[in-house]
Amino acid sequence: MENGSTKKKKWAFQGNPELNTASEITIRAVLAMLKTHLNQSDSRPVIPLGHGDPSSFSCFRTSPIAEDAIANALRSAKFTGYSPTVGVLPARRAVAEYLSQDLPNRISPDDVFLTVGCTQAIQTIITVLADSKANILLPKPGYPYYEAFAQSCHLEVRHFDLLPDKDWEVDLVAVEALADENTAAMVIINPGNPCGNVFTFQHLQKVAETARKLGILVIADEVYGHIAFGKNPFVPMGVFGSITPVITLGSISKRWIVPGWRLGWLIINDPNGVLKKHRIIECITQYLNISSDPPTFIQGAVPDILGKTKEDFFLKIINTIKEAANSCYEGIQDIPGVICPSEPEGSMFVMVKLDLSILENIKDDLDFCVKLAKEESIIILPGISVGLKNWLRLTFAIEPSSLEDGIKRIKAFCRRHSKKA
Amino acid sequence: MGESMEKQEWGFKENHELHAAAAFTIRHILQAIIENIDEPQTGKSVIHLGHGDPSAFPLFRTPTVVEDALIASIRSAHFNCYPPGVGIAPARSAVAKYLSRDLPNKLTTDDVFLTAGANHAIEIILTVLARPGANILFPRPNYPIYEARARFSPLEVRHYDLIPDKGWEVDLDGVKALANDKTVAIVLINPGNPCGNVFTFEHMKKIAETARQLGILVIADEVYAHQVFGEKPFIPMGVFGDIAPVVTLGSLSKRWVVPGWRFGWIAITDPIGILQQTGIVDSLTSCLAITADPPTVIQGAVPSIIENTSDSFFSNINKLLKEAADILYEGLKEIPLVACPHKPEGSMFAMVKLNIPGFDDVVDDTDFCMKLAKEESLIVFPGDAAGLKNWVRVSFAAEPEVLKDAIRRMKAFCLRHAKHY
Repeated sequence: MENGSTKKKKWAFQGNPELNTASEITIRAVLAMLKTHLNQSDSRPVIPLGHGDPSSFSCFRTSPIAEDAIANALRSAKFTGYSPTVGVLPARRAVAEYLSQDLPNRISPDDVFLTVGCTQAIQTIITVLADSKANILLPKPGYPYYEAFAQSCHLEVRHFDLLPDKDWEVDLVAVEALADENTAAMVIINPGNPCGNVFTFQHLQKVAETARKLGILVIADEVYGHIAFGKNPFVPMGVFGSITPVITLGSISKRWIVPGWRLGWLIINDPNGVLKKHRIIECITQYLNISSDPPTFIQGAVPDILGKTKEDFFLKIINTIKEAANSCYEGIQDIPGVICPSEPEGSMFVMVKLDLSILENIKDDLDFCVKLAKEESIIILPGISVGLKNWLRLTFAIEPSSLEDGIKRIKAFCRRHSKKA
Repeated sequence: MGESMEKQEWGFKENHELHAAAAFTIRHILQAIIENIDEPQTGKSVIHLGHGDPSAFPLFRTPTVVEDALIASIRSAHFNCYPPGVGIAPARSAVAKYLSRDLPNKLTTDDVFLTAGANHAIEIILTVLARPGANILFPRPNYPIYEARARFSPLEVRHYDLIPDKGWEVDLDGVKALANDKTVAIVLINPGNPCGNVFTFEHMKKIAETARQLGILVIADEVYAHQVFGEKPFIPMGVFGDIAPVVTLGSLSKRWVVPGWRFGWIAITDPIGILQQTGIVDSLTSCLAITADPPTVIQGAVPSIIENTSDSFFSNINKLLKEAADILYEGLKEIPLVACPHKPEGSMFAMVKLNIPGFDDVVDDTDFCMKLAKEESLIVFPGDAAGLKNWVRVSFAAEPEVLKDAIRRMKAFCLRHAKHY
């Protein structure tokens, strides 16, 4: 062993600060930060109104048929090995059939790619489109995972507004102004996260036509597909795939309330074959080739999950969400300092605006949420984390009694912080 | 928009990096070979010795306790939620305890990060270490997913040799010559894929000391941990974690014969806390926060799986692998134009050298694999893809009769294609 005369090499490896920055803007990171402000000596239960995961509440328990499907797939011993990159054929066929029910053109199993949740579907399309010159258009407010992952891929993002006075429709004029020859795609989330809106047929058609004009594809994030309970029915963007190429992202996580099963999909709705011609489909397969897959046995359960779940399970879930949405909306009307411009009609969320002019000692939405966590043991997502400062994103998909309690506590908080007349 | 202006029609473009990266994957290469198979023509059922997946063989079936644990996890409805990026605590803790059985310094829950399989673990560690200008040392021959993932990152890859005449030991002088001050890590695979070798304690210690001298960390790919059946015991690289920091990659896939489950881990053995200080731990956490997760339902079953699987299951599998390795090694001796210089003593693979000049019309290893697939419905993996041209990687993880049949077919093929003087 050499003595101190030889300087010992220092370590050549180090962490990657870009990854740290990217992960900080995820919703999970913001919620984790808010939780650190909870008052440990408050004996009341914490009311989680910031997440998108109602699976821990008994009224949102998944269908036993879905559970059976997985148990059967496991016991069959037919799905123990590695699956093909794109997913096992019976599962892809089942997803194609399931989605084709709502589309004018049947989609083929070849148009279906299975992913580890909708999250991996987002990763896939962002990576495929990422290039040093490219940019994509994201909605504001939106779902910050797109921003986080795009950042980690060095893909430039540009934001277009969703208009609160027009039921959160896309500002198409802004979209046209933002796009240039390097714009690859625009993302829409329908039913909407965080806004709880459901786009009309006419509006989606205009979105498709705008995209065609600009020469870009539409990424339709339909993870909340069919969770629509208001005046507008859910219309899949794939309906307009012949106007401009559409890539639809989805999963079983929301409709079946099983985000922990991590089973999603990426669908090509492109009857004109534009994406194939540009080798985008090839790139999608290649990305999935170098990435992980959903467990084979979970894929094996997909045909039964999609095919055998009874309509009354879906109705029960939708009704539970609808009642919660109504209860939430009604409750908000009575809360001073909080305004809800648009009644939620889909997904599990609603955006509400803060009227800081009538609230005292509240600096902004982040301050509101930190103080609310501390004083009332409630977790709500500050709008800044989804792109709208001084708004809040509220989840109503929790146990009804907890929701009621939550609304009461927010009301008490706002009353307490209201400016004295 | 004037017609006279030449405008591209579409703004999205293919990602060329993906094309290059995906060409390295096992799935991609096997796909081409499998397409050559003509079962009706040969009248022979396919024998797939191209990948390490014996799960289809009844003798290799995972024990019922494993399936029971998964089903219990699903039926509990406690694991349908999103998992934290690093994994749920009970699963991390169970893996930490499991790995600690063979380590002098016990791992804590915080030393374990759960991933969607070992391939995902590879993705994570390479992403964390990658920065422009940095290089990483890989073995030749290697498991090609490393090359695929590195190709898709700023990391420069440098290859050190494994020496066939020395039981595939690491050429340490070569390692020292290759490394410079931009080298961040060295990858080791033990038990070895594709070589089927097992490193000795002394050799591993030398590797750790070399890593320390060079100021680099060791990535120990131990996916085949404990699957040894020769003279040498399995020693985890973490034993030398106080010499140089060790990042161990592992999974349930091989030891429990559940490759489709995609449940793996990154475990750090770093008693002095260098990985913490250099920001590696934070980056691992951040990267996991924005990438795929293993399903929570699988994580929920892991404590039970680890605890309830009997040692006799593991020793039985090793016994099967030992018999299989014997059949393959002895069988290869009887086949002209192929040679296996080192009897496999671990993992599920052997590297076999081809005497190409002795063949009449086989030009290289890829040609050998293609023709073998076509004429004999037997699949083996071309060594060129693993870094050694004119070798082939053969899996022996199959039932005895299947292996004997494979030997017969390969012999017939070699005799048929040998030059006749």
